[in-house]
Amino acid sequence: MIKKLRIYMPFVNAGMQETTTYRANWIFLMLGNVLGCFVSYFIWKAVFVSGTDSSLNGFTMPQMVVYIFLMFLTSTLISSGGTYDIGEEIRDGSISMRIIKPISYNATFLFQELGNKLLTICILIVPMVVGVEIVRTVISGTVQFEIQGFLLYILSCTFAYLINFFFNICFGFVAFIIKYLWGANMMKNCIVGFLSGTVIPLAFLPDILEKIFLFLPFASLNYTPVMIYMGKYSGISLLYYLGLQIFWVLFFWGLSKLLWYVSIKHLSIQGG
Amino acid sequence: MISVNNLRKEFKKTIKEPGLIGSFKSLFHPKCEKVVAVNDISFEVPKGEILGFIGPNGAGKSTVIKMLTGILTPTSGTCTINGKNPSENRKSYVKEIGVVFGQRTQLWWDLPLRETYGVLKEIYEVPDDRYHKQMAFLNEVLELDSFITSPVRTLSLGQRMRADIAASLLHSPKVLFLDEPTIGLDVVVKDNIRKAIEHINKQEKTTVILTTHDLADIELLSKRIVMIDKGSNMFDGTISELKSKYGQIRELNFETDAKDIEQILNYKQHFGFNDDDIKIEKEANNVTVKFNSNAVPVSDMLSYTLDKINISDISVKDADIEEIIRRLYKQGV
Amino acid sequence: MKQVKRMLRMHRIFVTQELKRMMEYKGDFIVGIIGFLLGQFFNLLFLWIIFSQIPNLMGWTLEQILFIYGFSLIPKGLDHLLFDNLWSIGHFTVRKGDFDKYLTRPINTLFHVMVEKLQIDAFGELIMGIALICISVPSVSIEWSVSKVLLTIAVIPFATMIYVGIKTATAAIAFWTKRSGNITYMFYMFNDFAKYPVTIYNNVVRNIITYIIPFAFTAFYPAKYILTGDNPLFNIGMTVLLSIIIMFIGVIVWNKGVKAYESVGS
Repeated sequence: MIKKLRIYMPFVNAGMQETTTYRANWIFLMLGNVLGCFVSYFIWKAVFVSGTDSSLNGFTMPQMVVYIFLMFLTSTLISSGGTYDIGEEIRDGSISMRIIKPISYNATFLFQELGNKLLTICILIVPMVVGVEIVRTVISGTVQFEIQGFLLYILSCTFAYLINFFFNICFGFVAFIIKYLWGANMMKNCIVGFLSGTVIPLAFLPDILEKIFLFLPFASLNYTPVMIYMGKYSGISLLYYLGLQIFWVLFFWGLSKLLWYVSIKHLSIQGG
Repeated sequence: MISVNNLRKEFKKTIKEPGLIGSFKSLFHPKCEKVVAVNDISFEVPKGEILGFIGPNGAGKSTVIKMLTGILTPTSGTCTINGKNPSENRKSYVKEIGVVFGQRTQLWWDLPLRETYGVLKEIYEVPDDRYHKQMAFLNEVLELDSFITSPVRTLSLGQRMRADIAASLLHSPKVLFLDEPTIGLDVVVKDNIRKAIEHINKQEKTTVILTTHDLADIELLSKRIVMIDKGSNMFDGTISELKSKYGQIRELNFETDAKDIEQILNYKQHFGFNDDDIKIEKEANNVTVKFNSNAVPVSDMLSYTLDKINISDISVKDADIEEIIRRLYKQGV
Repeated sequence: MKQVKRMLRMHRIFVTQELKRMMEYKGDFIVGIIGFLLGQFFNLLFLWIIFSQIPNLMGWTLEQILFIYGFSLIPKGLDHLLFDNLWSIGHFTVRKGDFDKYLTRPINTLFHVMVEKLQIDAFGELIMGIALICISVPSVSIEWSVSKVLLTIAVIPFATMIYVGIKTATAAIAFWTKRSGNITYMFYMFNDFAKYPVTIYNNVVRNIITYIIPFAFTAFYPAKYILTGDNPLFNIGMTVLLSIIIMFIGVIVWNKGVKAYESVGS
């Protein structure tokens, strides 16, 4: 097992190098995303000021703040860029470089991205979590942080990342086959953004929609980890949502295998 | 025509440290280092000449070409074409030149080839009659007709290269820069491209600066070469000058059925050759001996060889240019 | 004058080429437009859900917010439609060495880059913007006058120029750093603030988007003038003034950047 993983170390390393080469670019991406959080923050603030209730659909203003910033942290942690890369690699033919190597195709992507992510995790997670915890402590007057909840969050994020990773690979193959890479990607981001609760907590939606969306794989991406962190899921529901995440991981893993097979066939028929 | 004087170019380079800690360090505190890409290059090219501009990988060739085409500004030194200096008035300078980078294309990827020429006509402000005349000429020389209506992405590499050369000549530039124009092409296509370049050079009196790793390009097209290495001039002169200066390598070819010829002949010990000055290759009964004729005269080699073993069909050849350049690249001057 | 004529001619030619290119990839473009429409649709859903919880947002009605939002999409869409190629400078053109091409051509590099592409999916934004304005106008009671109509039309190119100027300046940073796409992205995130009334923000944010990265002038201030007729000198005049200043800065940074690129390459 260890030996098997060693093969992929160069990919982790390459991913890290990639991030550091364009370090300023990466920092600005993060700053841009934090700005996005502040837009949401001010709108929600205005909403709570304008409304008469101190709680909307089970969210108080401070909880909303926590939600917004956790959503940002979670999105960053679980982000995966496979879609575009795969399409590009198939198009320019460099995918054959991956095919001829005696290692798993998906795994090379996965480990390269892990390398990318390692730095992100190290730099972001501590200040974000500390910030969120300070907010929560100030609101409630007591320390809310529980190591157990935090670990469950990390676990849930791991599942979410895997769902996202395999989902994006599937999507990359589909986009390649239908040829609408750019437009399709655009559309996907919009849909995923909404259905995963990035724009608005799913609890704000009409009941029936909320129920449907919660079951869809997108809620398993961002929404579930954040809800777990905020302590909104516990006991049976916690197990249910984690189980659902595992189901979607397996589902997209299987689907990506299938599509990989179909695409390669498609590729060889087309002759690249 | 073209005059290049003491061209020099320095870059700053970020150094990366290995490993996770190194990555972190360079994330916040990148280290820099000065690199001299081009040290001191000078040469002149008269009008209508085809100049072969060569040198090993990393010698600074493309940096020089980028300075000559106005893409990079020299750290010091100048290059002028017809008295025009790219760093003073880029727009009027680039109207005098055409550029083809073999590894890149300036054609509009998704559109039929013809559209590219239409756009370039506007960019370079080529008048209608001049445009039609030039297109007709390029069509004839480069045979664009068969694919001029196809989208560029569907062209073969050879067609694309022809199309790119035509694109660079649309505005009848006085100087044409060709950077690796035959890279990746098959023998026949290479031949066609060389012929076209020669034709254009003759007909239009276009000065051509040709960078390539395929020495056949140079031998067939250019009378003169400028060779650089490590950012400095290494050789400047005609091919025959190159041969007479560095061509002391001769080739002795013969057939023999003798075994262990290295043992029997043992040139090295007999004449006291240096390692670099002698090389023996054997293939079945054919033997090739490359040796430095300055160290040992050809006649001595011949008589000694004939003395030692039984030989049929012996001949002596000048070393070809490839061999000379291989040696030059390997050792520097 | 001759220069301007030539530029217009070049622009027309590039646009024609782009339209031809689009015909080659119809599907992708249609999917792209639908994607953008969908994105806007979800944002509206968000507004609608919020307003179902509250009577108004700090004094602004849903219709007024929709008007401001719709207006914000017009300059944004125009910038996206006509000048989007600047993004690729910061993302990959410089990094991959493809900028060399522009330097070997006898036309202004900035102009060449700007007009080279047409981003048709911007119609997603433009369509939505116009639709929102049409929907909201009947219920926001605007007093129209000839001068107001003229000012409204006149301010749109200037509002667009604020985007173009900021994009030019930030894209040009790539000439030093090889890659600046995300700097542009960061600046563009500020325009998310501009879609809503600036009165909902605290002083720091309000001052930034008014005076430093003045995206508020691409939407809120002009829209406010149209809605209320208040203070045209500030709401419209400042839009014009700031857009000129910003474009000027953009061009200066660009030219300096090209100089720097010429000394380093890629």
